[in-house]
Amino acid sequence: MAGVVLPLLAQKSPIKVKEGLKIEIQTSAICEMCKEAIEYDLTFEKGVKSADLNLDDMVVTVIYNGKKTTDEKIRKRITMVGYNADHLKRDSVAYENLPFCCKDGGHDDDH
Amino acid sequence: MKKHFLIFLIITINQWSLMAQEAILGMVATSKHEPLVGATVQVLGTDKGTITDVDGRFEISASNGDRLIVSFVGFDTDTVEAETGKMMHIMINESAEELGEVVVSSGSTFFDNMESKNLEIITEKELLKAACCNLSESFETNASVDVSLTDAVSGAKMIRMLGLDGKYVQINRENIPHVRGLTNRYGLGFVPGTWIQSIDVGKGAGTVVNGYESMTGQINLEFKKPENSEKLYLNSYINSFGRFELNGNRARDLNEKWSTGILAHADYFGSEIDQNDDGFMDRPKSRQINVLKRFKYNGERIVGQFGLNVMRDEKAGGQTGFDFGDDHKTSPEYGFVNNTTRIEAYGKTGILFLDKPYKGWGFLYSASFQDMDGGFGREPYDGKETTLYFNAINQNIIGNSFHQYKTGFSVLYDDFKESYSSLNLNRQEIVPGGYFEYSYLPNDNFTMVAGLRYDHHNLYGSYWTPRLHLRYQSGKNTVWRASAGRGYRTPNVLMDNLPMLFSSRNISITEEIKPEVSWNSGASVTSEIALFNTPVEVAIDYFHTYFENQLIADMDASFTEVFLYNLRGRSYAHNYQTQLNFKLSEKLSTRVAYKYYDVKTTYSGVLRRPPFIPKNRFFINTAYATKYEKWKIDGTLQWRGKGRFPDMSNHPITDVTFDTETPSYFLLNGQISRGFRWGNIYLGSENLLNFRQKNPIVDPENPFGTNFDASMIWGPVTGTMVYAGFRYKVKRK
Repeated sequence: MAGVVLPLLAQKSPIKVKEGLKIEIQTSAICEMCKEAIEYDLTFEKGVKSADLNLDDMVVTVIYNGKKTTDEKIRKRITMVGYNADHLKRDSVAYENLPFCCKDGGHDDDH
Repeated sequence: MKKHFLIFLIITINQWSLMAQEAILGMVATSKHEPLVGATVQVLGTDKGTITDVDGRFEISASNGDRLIVSFVGFDTDTVEAETGKMMHIMINESAEELGEVVVSSGSTFFDNMESKNLEIITEKELLKAACCNLSESFETNASVDVSLTDAVSGAKMIRMLGLDGKYVQINRENIPHVRGLTNRYGLGFVPGTWIQSIDVGKGAGTVVNGYESMTGQINLEFKKPENSEKLYLNSYINSFGRFELNGNRARDLNEKWSTGILAHADYFGSEIDQNDDGFMDRPKSRQINVLKRFKYNGERIVGQFGLNVMRDEKAGGQTGFDFGDDHKTSPEYGFVNNTTRIEAYGKTGILFLDKPYKGWGFLYSASFQDMDGGFGREPYDGKETTLYFNAINQNIIGNSFHQYKTGFSVLYDDFKESYSSLNLNRQEIVPGGYFEYSYLPNDNFTMVAGLRYDHHNLYGSYWTPRLHLRYQSGKNTVWRASAGRGYRTPNVLMDNLPMLFSSRNISITEEIKPEVSWNSGASVTSEIALFNTPVEVAIDYFHTYFENQLIADMDASFTEVFLYNLRGRSYAHNYQTQLNFKLSEKLSTRVAYKYYDVKTTYSGVLRRPPFIPKNRFFINTAYATKYEKWKIDGTLQWRGKGRFPDMSNHPITDVTFDTETPSYFLLNGQISRGFRWGNIYLGSENLLNFRQKNPIVDPENPFGTNFDASMIWGPVTGTMVYAGFRYKVKRK
């Protein structure tokens, strides 16, 4: 599977949950290291309470405080780690600095 | 150094493959995601193996479920299950023990299941739980090593293992003897905590490769490495007593093969703390500057590292009012001065054989000079030690990888000068030695390591050191171990018995002091069981140490003398420990341990317990951490049982009631830290229950009189202390 082919899904909106707001964001994470990089970064983002990325569909579920941050800020943050976030394109410098296996084609040998 | 003589390594790299097998594709990378070029990948139980290419990739034929052994010089070997039909991503960690073996677990502290020795590994994660300050505090959250004050004046902390003094533990830094000789008492304070990457705590007899000095155990320190530690690391620490610390580490690559790093530390403590109002500072004023410059070379056939360490440490303690620079010989106050300068250059070189990963040469070498001058009250003390050390290790196999060996020779040169008052104790040791260690590894479940070394000591003649380690794994998680071995050590008459110098006692050395000789044997079992649906790691061990000779410092025979003589009679220690590690959830874990010591030594013909050492100890540590350690809370509660207090019934001071035994007490430490992208901040406390030994000094009003004694210590001298600090890190790309 090539990392460049992104599913063109409609962007979701935040929904209210007990702990605050919940947003599901489509990313371009392709491996365990990508998952860690995104989760790690969002964990320390202001207003974010938790971040869990599912590698099967590459969707990160973020629970956050709507008074401290917005879903758009969270998407922007993901692009700064080097990954696409819904409609937002990844930051090219951050992408260049990703480890080899997290880049496009890094998993082309996967069957 | 290198690590291609690994346990369970399958040797012959052969290209044949079986028809029924599939091509496994994968990639090997560091935990920082850098691909590893030239890492060895082998199929367990076969002779198939390959090496990763320039992108860290490999292809090997194996069946689904086969176990692959992945190894690389300087990294922990890992065993993973082969998975067909996908690209495998295997991350391996920088080795905690460079001359180490297979580690298949991770976490903050864990027992190494594949290791033939009883080895507990304390990682950096665990070390962060005790934020302050140096090696002596690094064991605060560890149940196997006890830490206590040596006396009521110097502030020095000593460790204790298997119920015996830490001087019987061989403390190495990257397998080169480090805290020993002149600095065996203060030396733990000369290793800043921020320099340490991990600590291996090995109980019982160690390997013959590292010498004859491990009598009750081996502690190996791994410092942060130039090639993989943070680009920049800054730490600052301050506590409520007024101690201030600054630490800074840097690391960078010079080119593809060379990397370099610097580890720097400074601390200052200039306040006077006297919580028990006895006129004595509870800990001395102190200041230290300590710098280590390191280089690492990673070539194709040669790997090496070199370091230069320069340190200056000054302490000024005793009665309040005594300050840095004051002359203890003329001061009206009782002054304690200790100024230490230490310079050490060391290195390691490994020669590798790419096509024969089981074969190699390693050379360890160091040269150090340490100078310690100062005084205790009016009496001057001076110590100087020059040490040269060289160890050449060859490792290979006999026929196949079931039979491996390490052999080599070493030379130790130690020029030791110590003087106190009118005593002069000088010696010059030259000890060449050779050793052979055979490992039998017929399968995954059994290991036998048998070693023998012979050293010729210029002063004391022949040293024969046999050591044996057995390991047997039954089932998936249960490992049984047994070990036995002999150890030797030259006592440092004054520094080993530092507390006696903080007293008015006359030092009587009644005969020529001989080397200390001991036998240690023990057995242990570690297993993972499920208790109330919770995975629990259980470790039970028993060790017995028996002395053929020991330097006895007898402070029971008289109130005005301390007699130093060779052991006449029996001296032994039985140690029993049970530890349970509960992993209650992803976030919460607890460690519980109980220890029982039965230690007895013959003093003036009477077999009795050494003073102040409790028989029973209890330990509990609980750690809570959220994902990616955004929040971390940690607490350690220790309980120490009753100990023997020297018989004071006929003491000339009659207006004070002396203890007849030392009481049992609790100690509680805790810390909370908050992580950020750039590092973390922390806030913690030591001795939260504010427990103190009320009158640690006998007759503190008359320090120059005949009854003064600050050696009778069994508990903390200072009460609750609060500290705070931060760690700032710039990671490498």
